[in-house]
Amino acid sequence: MTEPLERECEVFARYLSGSPPSDYVLAQYRAAHAAGVVDPPGGATRFDEFVVRQARRGAWLARALDAHARVFANGSLLRRKLVLLLALLEVRSPHAEALDTPTGASRALMLLTMAWLGVRFAFSVALVAVLLIPARVALGGGGAK
Amino acid sequence: MKHVVVVGSGASGVHFAQSALERGWRVTMLDVGRSAPAAELPHASFAALKREHPDPAGYFLGRAFEGALFPGAKGEYYGFPPHKGYIFAPLERVAWRARGFDPLLSFARGGLAQAWTGGSFPFTADETRDFPFEHSELQRCYGVIAQRIGVSGAVDDLAPYLPGHAHLAPPLDLDEHSRVLLAAYERSKSRLNGKLRCFVGRSRAAVRADDRDGRQGCTNLGRCLWGCPREALYTPSITLRELERHPSFSYVPGRVVTRIEADGANRVRRVRAESLDGGAELVLDTQHVALAAGTLASAKVLLDSLRAHGGVSPVLTGLMDNRQVLVPFVNFAMLRKRVELDSYQYHQLALGLERPDPRHYVHGLVTTLKTALIHPIVQSVPFDLASALWIFRNAHAALGLVNVNFHDERRETCSLALEVERDGSSKLLVRYEPAPEESERIAGALRDVKRALRALGCIAPPGMTHVRPMGASVHYAGVVPMRAERTALCASPRGESYDLAGLHLVDGATFPFLPAKNLTFTLMANAARIAERLDD
Repeated sequence: MTEPLERECEVFARYLSGSPPSDYVLAQYRAAHAAGVVDPPGGATRFDEFVVRQARRGAWLARALDAHARVFANGSLLRRKLVLLLALLEVRSPHAEALDTPTGASRALMLLTMAWLGVRFAFSVALVAVLLIPARVALGGGGAK
Repeated sequence: MKHVVVVGSGASGVHFAQSALERGWRVTMLDVGRSAPAAELPHASFAALKREHPDPAGYFLGRAFEGALFPGAKGEYYGFPPHKGYIFAPLERVAWRARGFDPLLSFARGGLAQAWTGGSFPFTADETRDFPFEHSELQRCYGVIAQRIGVSGAVDDLAPYLPGHAHLAPPLDLDEHSRVLLAAYERSKSRLNGKLRCFVGRSRAAVRADDRDGRQGCTNLGRCLWGCPREALYTPSITLRELERHPSFSYVPGRVVTRIEADGANRVRRVRAESLDGGAELVLDTQHVALAAGTLASAKVLLDSLRAHGGVSPVLTGLMDNRQVLVPFVNFAMLRKRVELDSYQYHQLALGLERPDPRHYVHGLVTTLKTALIHPIVQSVPFDLASALWIFRNAHAALGLVNVNFHDERRETCSLALEVERDGSSKLLVRYEPAPEESERIAGALRDVKRALRALGCIAPPGMTHVRPMGASVHYAGVVPMRAERTALCASPRGESYDLAGLHLVDGATFPFLPAKNLTFTLMANAARIAERLDD
């Protein structure tokens, strides 16, 4: 059975880059967690951990919850995990090249895509904000666990 | 043989020492001297490091992931390379407390300039108006230093603000983004020069394009930010290595100078230095000491020495530093292009804003970000990370940054003093208050910089401009200014303290004015100038 951290790294890497992490990236992801570098200052809340558990379910959920966190909880556990993984992916080939190569979109397509990303982002933020209300009430939105 | 003790191995110390040796002096250099880690995979380019390094996360992010910047962290647009951490690692024995200032001190072999971005910007005659010697003396020494360290650049539209000097080597090749910006400047020159009084030209950098003196020329590895493994980008530890081969030079690392002692006639007699490893105190008899530990550390030694000598510790006023404001921009002409990693990474262009008072010239270093880590930038884009990454991939080649520098003047409200502890040890108290008109001055200049960027086909995204805290530029100066007439707590035109004869202050502490420019090149030139006059 896949351990939660490995599953999480796999899902988040697919969300960020479209491909799974290498063994090296997974090992570094584990090492960083063991060293405690992803813990938010003051510690993660129960709500933070709930959000991460949901994000582990798949890349689509990770994206939606990331959008919500970008607006309402930028320094949360989920954002810190994702930024850590992005930092690990960008320093190791082949992800490093993939993350830094233009998509080849024409100027018009680029503008259209950016508009679509903006709409999707706004929709995700709004939808997740509503869907998380019960969890936020049940678990308490703030304060360390 | 005449003997001088030099305190510190930074830009001022090594060039003072070199000029003193050339004039037949024996030199002993006392230093904490923390060493840089060995260069890793010196042949590899920035991109190749990500393929070939056995532990790229350790190299780029640090063994404890200290180079990973998380959301909300106090930071800038790019992280400081973990393996350069030795440059700013604190030393418990040199403690400080600061208000309005974030001091950075270095105890590295080579000092603060080990983290230098190579900006070699000579001061103009207007800017040295308060310096009590002829500008031509400094101008000549710029040539001396340029010959030693290698400075590349051009005499172009910025020449009235960045004067030419001897031994200026041809500029490095421009990357595509800088070429596009310079071409846009040529097209908009009349508007920029006329209404905005804005000028753009090649920057000046302490980078060798050719192999010489044991250094290899720049081959565009793209590792400037990460530490040039070829030593094409100059750092003072290169000169220190050369000095160590000189028979009249001795380097004593692992020492913290605590004070300089003088006799009843206020003449320097000896230097005392503690050992970092708990060994015996080192006491050197000498009549000449050159303080070159950097403005803050030198001032602390001076204050501790004056306290020990006269029982009273004065307040040194006039601390200066360049305010810096970072203005990120996007160049539309570079969108959707592949980023050029194999190129010189620091400022290839400079942007100058002329002001009615020539001493208030505003200097901008134009950097086209390429090999900084991308996660700090991507997370600042107001989207989810995957969307932000998509935008970044198409915009990376188009990103740039203008580091706008402002001048500073000596004021009574900016000072250094000692706080003496019960056990007799002391702490440096740093106090800084910006000039009352500073916000207005910054706002006006930023308006002009943004207009200039628009004329060059770029935009500065709203809300991204970052005013760096005072102390961040590490261009400290001014607390023991040079004066022509004998004045307490000042230095002579030769950098010699008017309070303790034989004590030469050869770093930025003696600058009476700080133009809007990196002062490192002038520190070196002034240190060489003082050493040349040691026999006077």
